[in-house]
Amino acid sequence: MSLDRRRINGPDESFPPVFALDGLQGTLASPRKDRSPTDIRPIFLQPGLISQANGSAYIETAKTKIACAVYGPRQSRNAAYSETGRLNVEVKFTPFSCARRRAPMRDAEDRSIAVAIHQALVSSVRLDLLPKSTIDIFITIIESDGLDGCVASGSVAASAALADAGIELLGLVTSCAAAIVGRDIWLDPTEGEARFSNGTLVLACMPALKKITSVWQTGEMQVTEALGCMDACQEKCTEIHSVVAQALLESPSLK
Amino acid sequence: MASVSTSKAEVSYIQSGLLSNPPLRADGRGLYDYRTVSLETGVAPLANGSAHLSIGQNPHDGGGGTEVLAAAKLEVESVDPGKGEGMDGGRIVCTVSCSPSAYPHLSSSALDDLQHDLTTLLHQTLAHPSLHPSNLAILAGKNSWLLNLDCVVLADAGNAHDALFMAARAALWDCKVPRTRGVEYKAAAAPAAKVAESGEMDVDRDAEAQQSGFDTRSIARAVDFELPDYWDEGEVLGGRERWPVCVTLNIAAPPPGSKGSLVPYLDAIQQEEAATPLRLLLVFSFPPATSARLQAMRILGSGELESDQIRAFVGTGENYARQLWDALNGKLRDEDIRRGQRARDRFARR
Repeated sequence: MSLDRRRINGPDESFPPVFALDGLQGTLASPRKDRSPTDIRPIFLQPGLISQANGSAYIETAKTKIACAVYGPRQSRNAAYSETGRLNVEVKFTPFSCARRRAPMRDAEDRSIAVAIHQALVSSVRLDLLPKSTIDIFITIIESDGLDGCVASGSVAASAALADAGIELLGLVTSCAAAIVGRDIWLDPTEGEARFSNGTLVLACMPALKKITSVWQTGEMQVTEALGCMDACQEKCTEIHSVVAQALLESPSLK
Repeated sequence: MASVSTSKAEVSYIQSGLLSNPPLRADGRGLYDYRTVSLETGVAPLANGSAHLSIGQNPHDGGGGTEVLAAAKLEVESVDPGKGEGMDGGRIVCTVSCSPSAYPHLSSSALDDLQHDLTTLLHQTLAHPSLHPSNLAILAGKNSWLLNLDCVVLADAGNAHDALFMAARAALWDCKVPRTRGVEYKAAAAPAAKVAESGEMDVDRDAEAQQSGFDTRSIARAVDFELPDYWDEGEVLGGRERWPVCVTLNIAAPPPGSKGSLVPYLDAIQQEEAATPLRLLLVFSFPPATSARLQAMRILGSGELESDQIRAFVGTGENYARQLWDALNGKLRDEDIRRGQRARDRFARR
């Protein structure tokens, strides 16, 4: 195993503390206590926080906190000639982002989230205008509250960062998650809600063009439920789109 | 998915063939025709369940198709939170590995990424709690079965996703969980009280002496388990008819600027996959007496769809998934008979 000697290495394995209260939270409060099923958590989005990157964005939705930096377009290194540009997404977790510690280097990277975000973004970027080049997107998850929320918020932040970097896009990508709890559709589930749900769905779309770029569904859903989730998410994405557009208009890089 | 190097002329030839009316494909199939699928279960004698599946194999020399080998292997693991990730009720771990000979054009890191993506898809779908089999538990709070499902893509001639899910379903269908019986250790009852009562020392305690401290019939609190000896290898996984099948709708889009609708088609060969990058993956399960369940849905590749188009494609996909489901179930039952009833008959005739 590779060990980084420059940092203080924690113990090989660690376990989250178990609190006496946890045992009581085995079931989910239904109906939802803190917000209505079709509400999402409030979004704070700030483009242009990382000054050395070409474009960047920081997003916070309740307990999900994600920073995203875009570098490029720059010349592809050690890659064969390609007529279209390449979009490279890397997702890293900070060691303290989850309930259980994520050891640096060993399990800090999560390719499945990176693939999901890549899928959400790739059709929105005009890669055909950028032959031989690469756009690198680095996403750092500072605090995570469920994978679905990370994928959705990460996609929104990355799209805002791409716009902040001045890269030509077909449209802003926004994304929203939904879960089926019992018979209801709950938008933007937290980690606990997603765990007790029958299935979850993350949808990414370009609301300006009414095009869906990614659907990422896991778990058990009836066909009508899945289509209902998609419609609810798409509606919410239109609202998120105005939040992102407003944040970009107010960003210091434009002033 | 991996793309073979395909020239622009070839790409445009395949695309215009798919978009023409009537649609034309290189091997003469219709848009919704599968190549021949062949399946054999029980191919790995040391696994608890296994299957070998190939799509589009040449009937003469057995080459040139997509080949997937899947095997389910059970192991006992501790549920103790201090020792690993075991949990009550057992768990499932799926892994997919791709043979380098199936993807000679990929570098080793690209092959790793492909394996990882397929593993994630298979694991997220099959290890979801909604599909969890009921009989992977051994002793509550002590031991449970860990089901490792390992799939190997031996050759890829297109449509690896569908092949993987079919092979996984067949291997899990075939999987037998060994029967276990809880064991409790019991100290022999202390005879002291009885002695004091009767005042006699010559009480015949033969019956008590013969009683074993190793009583396994009435179990109050089992501390360990044993494997009873049976002629078969155990019982099938609970809810084995629910394991899903995958249908990949490849979507041929008309060139930008021209009018025309998207053309979905099934079972792409590798060149077709390279020519039409957009795919809609639909993983369906059809539990008896209820409506169809979507177990996973993914859009893969660059391109975008509208909500109405997805709605239509899900309907189409459900239709073909049900046909695939029925055909696969028929074959799996045949395989059960071939390996159970027929093998016994053959043995009796010897």
